[in-house]
Amino acid sequence: MGNKQTIFTDEQLDAYQDCTFFTRKEILRLHGRYHELAPHLVPMDYTNEPDVTIPLALIVSMPELNENPFRNRIVESFSEDGAGNLSFNDFVDMFSVLSETAPRELKAIYAFKIYDFNVDNFLCKEDLEKTLNKLTREELSPEEVTLVCEKAIEEADLDGDSKLSFADFENMITRAPDFLSTFHIRI
Amino acid sequence: MEFSELQRQSSTIAHGYHGAQQLMRLQSKSVVSNQNGPQFNWGSPPSEGGEEGDVGPPKDLRERPMTMRLKRAIREVQQMRVPVVTSWQSWKRSKAKSLSRFRADAGGVMSYVALWRKALHKIGGHFGGGVQSYFMFLRFLVVLNFLSFLLIAGFILIPSIVFRSTSTSNMTVDSTGPEVCKVYDPNLQGLVVFYQYFLDLLSGTGFMEYSYMFYGYYNNTVAESSGFHYNLPLAYLLTSVFYFTFCLICIVARMGSALRVAVATGSGAAGSYSKMVFTGWDYGCQGDRATKLKQKSIHYQLQVDLEEERLQKKALSLTLGQTVGLCSLHIFLMLVSLALIGGAFFGIFKATVFSQAQVGAEGILGLFWVYLPSIVITTGNFVVPFMCDQIALFERYSPSTTIIMALFRSVFLRMISLGVLLFTLWSQITCFKDSPKCELCQYNNKEYPCWETRVGQEMYKLALFDFLITIAMLFLVEFPRRLVVDHYSCALTRWVGRQEFLVPPNVLGLVYGQTVVWTGALFCPLLPLINTLKFFILFYCKKVTLFSNCRPAVKTFRSTTSTIFFLVVLLFGWGLALVAMIYSLAQIHPSMSCGPFRSLTMMWSIVPNTFDTLSLTTQDFIFYMGSQAFSIPLFIFSCVVLCYVAALAAVYGKSVDLLKAQLKLEGRDKQFLVKQIEELSREMGVPTRDQLDTFDTGAAN
Repeated sequence: MGNKQTIFTDEQLDAYQDCTFFTRKEILRLHGRYHELAPHLVPMDYTNEPDVTIPLALIVSMPELNENPFRNRIVESFSEDGAGNLSFNDFVDMFSVLSETAPRELKAIYAFKIYDFNVDNFLCKEDLEKTLNKLTREELSPEEVTLVCEKAIEEADLDGDSKLSFADFENMITRAPDFLSTFHIRI
Repeated sequence: MEFSELQRQSSTIAHGYHGAQQLMRLQSKSVVSNQNGPQFNWGSPPSEGGEEGDVGPPKDLRERPMTMRLKRAIREVQQMRVPVVTSWQSWKRSKAKSLSRFRADAGGVMSYVALWRKALHKIGGHFGGGVQSYFMFLRFLVVLNFLSFLLIAGFILIPSIVFRSTSTSNMTVDSTGPEVCKVYDPNLQGLVVFYQYFLDLLSGTGFMEYSYMFYGYYNNTVAESSGFHYNLPLAYLLTSVFYFTFCLICIVARMGSALRVAVATGSGAAGSYSKMVFTGWDYGCQGDRATKLKQKSIHYQLQVDLEEERLQKKALSLTLGQTVGLCSLHIFLMLVSLALIGGAFFGIFKATVFSQAQVGAEGILGLFWVYLPSIVITTGNFVVPFMCDQIALFERYSPSTTIIMALFRSVFLRMISLGVLLFTLWSQITCFKDSPKCELCQYNNKEYPCWETRVGQEMYKLALFDFLITIAMLFLVEFPRRLVVDHYSCALTRWVGRQEFLVPPNVLGLVYGQTVVWTGALFCPLLPLINTLKFFILFYCKKVTLFSNCRPAVKTFRSTTSTIFFLVVLLFGWGLALVAMIYSLAQIHPSMSCGPFRSLTMMWSIVPNTFDTLSLTTQDFIFYMGSQAFSIPLFIFSCVVLCYVAALAAVYGKSVDLLKAQLKLEGRDKQFLVKQIEELSREMGVPTRDQLDTFDTGAAN
């Protein structure tokens, strides 16, 4: 509460403040949230940079994420090992990108990563179909799914290879006015 | 090519910095293998450190798509390097850093102060953006009304109170005219039955009539004391005019920010499928219910889009005979709905005439007669849209067109019914049929000794009735409905279901309430304050009903829940109120027995009268501004500016199209070049990208 906290050194907090879109208070609050996900794993004292990661299953149990259809992909995209185990650095990074003040370009990069299910740096038809099924809880008929995916690729594909590269994706995002407000988790 | 370029860059960086070396090699592998992936340009930050602008490297680092460990490593490296800058630059940079920190903290504080911030966020998370935009619109109206009230209080109310309490050295000019016109007895009785106060409160008569609430209480005082000169009638008029201008500016400013986004991102129709798939999901959705609802909503939206395409294709394939038949059906049903609306207007006209004739009736029945126009208007607002919806079932428009048609019909109905009410009142006051009633005082002084107060009372009653009906609906319809649906499950309750929170009808209710306030503000100066309180209470009531009784509408259309749509409809209301105000100011003779304009033949004439008392130089200056020598060059200049801006917009549009085409071409070029590289490397026996990848992974492990 304004007194000296011993979770991070001042230098560490400065570093976090410079590398994310959070203030000191928010970073401390995030550490609290991170700690309560796995109180036995996560130490309260981070001054000597412990090498602790929390597995995917615990991260997606957070109320902000546990109903999100893309929760697994989100956590995987921000994890260093690609399997969804987040260190505190990755945890803060994730919420920083998903925060209100992160710029559109940065969000677009990570959104592309999230929707790229087979991690081949292209959004192909299968990626879109998986995305669509998650969006509609698989209530569209298969013909409708195919139709919507074909139309979506047709609209956004600029170089004509029937899959979306990052350039195509980014170009499409710039034409979507509410991308910034929807790609936002408040924590 | 890019492969070697990145390899070179990565080795340059890794060369100097031990801590980051391992990290960067690991990172470079994954970056290098993606040619089409997001281009992580992380070769530049250290070298650019010294020449960065005022904001400095820290801001740049946040926006880079690297892992946190890498970012911190780079930051450490940047801190270690001592940039060779002058003391002025280092001072500037430290000031910029502390300023950005201060701004971040201030932003945090301001967000606590913003009205209802948490409530709006909760609503948005559970019910989606459409419902949230309704509540944000409501908040905007609360703030607008409160600021208007401050304006009116500062210039009209407080001076009036001051002049009344210190009745020295004030001038009141008595009107010239027949004595009988100056008679105004607002029925101030001493002791009345206790419930009479309640009835008076509801209908604006009795103790409320001769109070600061209504126009009739204000005097046409011109206060002059030791150099202080305050002309109350002039202040009254100019404040009302400025109030309208102020509201217009607020609405247009708010619309401007929304329009800027809409124009920049081009037409919403193009690219709707890809946008829906990739930006449709609201990551802020929390809770099982909200998520399921959002998924249903997306599902419905996609189905509607597909359905519209099917209908469009079908429409194109219609024969001439079928097209003619469809057109005539549309026209016929349009006439039917117009007839219904016309019937509602006629009902309002008759009710108003009857109600005005029943002045003086006592008790509850008197209250009923007095509220008759409001009752008829509200009934019409329920019944006519319902019947138009039934008609729309036969019209066979596409779903989005149906909704937009229904909305425009409702807007038309509400605004014009208010207009009909006003028209009826004015025809009564000014006797359009030139009956002998109006010959004496140019207005109907027998039935309306102080007609402005009567109009103010009507608007007050409309606002109050609207509020009471909303509260009554809440308690008598919505809560019981939920109780019945939750506790008894039979086929009927399942079919009826829980109340849906439909945004467009609610927004129309708000716009209607605001239009009533705008129309009545000239005659009832405290109406903005009443409206502020009304909307404030309404926010909480609607929030309560939203969370307890409602399920959000699955069938929503973005265009009809957007802020721009709400503001356009609000502008319609503003326009109607403006017409009413101009007519009152410029056409009708003010009452000779009450109010600040009693000595004038026209409310607006206070301005020319005061103008004549200004000094000659000021008069000359103003005449000059209105003369041709000034206004024509001004007009030409503004035309030139307009043409310039239009040309600029056209040029930007063209360059956007050109850039889009260029983007396409570059994509194709890149593909072509990549194919060429692969062919050439195959021919020359150089290991391809994939082979190198496996080699690298083998080496790192």
